[in-house]
Amino acid sequence: MTGSVMSRKGLLFWVLMIIVLITVLFPLYWILITALKTPLENILPVPSLFPKKVTLENFFSVMRTGFFKNLFNSLFVAFTSTFFSLVLAFLASYALLRYKFPYKLNVLFLIWVLIVKILPPMVLAIPLYTLFTKVNLINNLWGLILVYQVYTLPYCIWMLFGFMKNLPLEFEQAAEIDGASKLKTLLSIVVPLSSSGIAATAIFSIIIAWDEFLFALLFIRSPSLQTLPLKIVSFITEYETLWGDLMAIGLLATLPVLFFSGYYYKRLTEGFSLGLK
Amino acid sequence: MKKLNKRSNPAFFLLILLPALLVILFLTLYPVINTIVLAFYKYNYLSDEIKFIGLKNFFTIGSDTVFQTAFLNTLTFAAVATVVEVGLGIFLALMFYGDFRGKRPFMITVIFPMMVSTMVISAVWKVLYHYDIGLFNNILRSMNLEPVGWLIDQSKALFSIILVDIWQWTPFAFLIMQAGLNSIPNEIFESSSIDGAGYFRNLRSITLPILSSQILLVIMLRTIDTFRIFGKVYALTQGGPGNSTETVSYFIYREGFSFFNLGRASAAALYVLIAISIIALFYIKGIMKEDM
Repeated sequence: MTGSVMSRKGLLFWVLMIIVLITVLFPLYWILITALKTPLENILPVPSLFPKKVTLENFFSVMRTGFFKNLFNSLFVAFTSTFFSLVLAFLASYALLRYKFPYKLNVLFLIWVLIVKILPPMVLAIPLYTLFTKVNLINNLWGLILVYQVYTLPYCIWMLFGFMKNLPLEFEQAAEIDGASKLKTLLSIVVPLSSSGIAATAIFSIIIAWDEFLFALLFIRSPSLQTLPLKIVSFITEYETLWGDLMAIGLLATLPVLFFSGYYYKRLTEGFSLGLK
Repeated sequence: MKKLNKRSNPAFFLLILLPALLVILFLTLYPVINTIVLAFYKYNYLSDEIKFIGLKNFFTIGSDTVFQTAFLNTLTFAAVATVVEVGLGIFLALMFYGDFRGKRPFMITVIFPMMVSTMVISAVWKVLYHYDIGLFNNILRSMNLEPVGWLIDQSKALFSIILVDIWQWTPFAFLIMQAGLNSIPNEIFESSSIDGAGYFRNLRSITLPILSSQILLVIMLRTIDTFRIFGKVYALTQGGPGNSTETVSYFIYREGFSFFNLGRASAAALYVLIAISIIALFYIKGIMKEDM
């Protein structure tokens, strides 16, 4: 990097950097210190910038309210729905890449996938709710896993299709000449070749399901089946003053996701395609 | 696109495509058709009363001031959030262009807001916005200024939610703009500086035109996202005070899941579908050009 662009990095540059960092980090810092303050300190009329007394009380209190059950629900739903989406998306993407279906089905299918990605999920909520009620999938984690395919399946198809577009055809042709069955070729050649794409897709799909709120709110009734976003909202709307507890849950729900920031950044900068996000 | 030769077995490919196809159709085609049909009925889920009423739902929803407010709020949200996020995104991308010490940790930190769960973000902003004991009003009071009803003042609540959105998604715009800028060879900047072009002329005549596809992308993604916005509104204001933060998704939610007027909710959903498909048309056209 040379010349005109580099010379701009004067004092202003570093001041701006500090402003940006403070803006980004301050709310996160606030989550941390609110979680560490005593319940009493959290409702002082003048909020303190540093906890006067650091306590883990809020974390213990949250754990007594069934946090681990909620954590388990969130993990179970996020991982299971991602698993199903990955399997279905992988198979579908492979079919779309390697076979030309009649009636322009390849393109039509991908356009439909995009439409689903764009569609506001609220539009689907009412018919799905009435349908799921009839088949006993309301207030049921499996129902949530099924409905999360609305988000994760189009996402996985789009991402995997993008990754697999660049797979070389030669290995598959060689396997075919050797007389390997289609399924064997798929499992022993295509899966290993796409593993980095599958891993990336899995991580983002898990994050999407981990954060989902709308269908969880509509489909889950029992507190014991609540996922973490539901648990957080119940703290926001019902127990408005238990801010320490709220932020303690928030912190626990956030840390595992922040862990992937470096990876996320790498992926985002590797190539920006319109389909991302 | 590479295809295997003609000996390949159609049944096999159809078989592996089918599960995904069926799940997607089941989860989307059925609800959409169901919504279209229900929109023509007066249907209350609780009383189970169902009656064909033609286009009446469309008229009553279209002229419902709450729905109009919700629609207007959604458009305002999309417009304000997009303009600010794009503007800040371009500004930051220009300021932090190129390489510098600590760029990677800096960028990773900057994308934190888009990684944190929306509910957690809503929670902390709700705390910061609190009228009595929130930090923002406290700062205002310490400067002898009037406290602001961030989430409880009808004229401000929508903008307070937009501010949260801006905090959360400007990093995304920043990243996209930066990717766009990195595709510009540095020589272009240099040659135009030698020509004596000023910073702002550079910006207007070189940078912005090159970033136009990125700008368009952010506009589309943010607009699509605003039509889905639900969690933030639910957690921060529940559509209030009054209807000042009601968005289209929230309107459908209340109509369907609080009042159980499934016919009306379906008509509202169809209006949203029509609006979103106009945006989708441009979006899909852009993607098809780029990715296929």
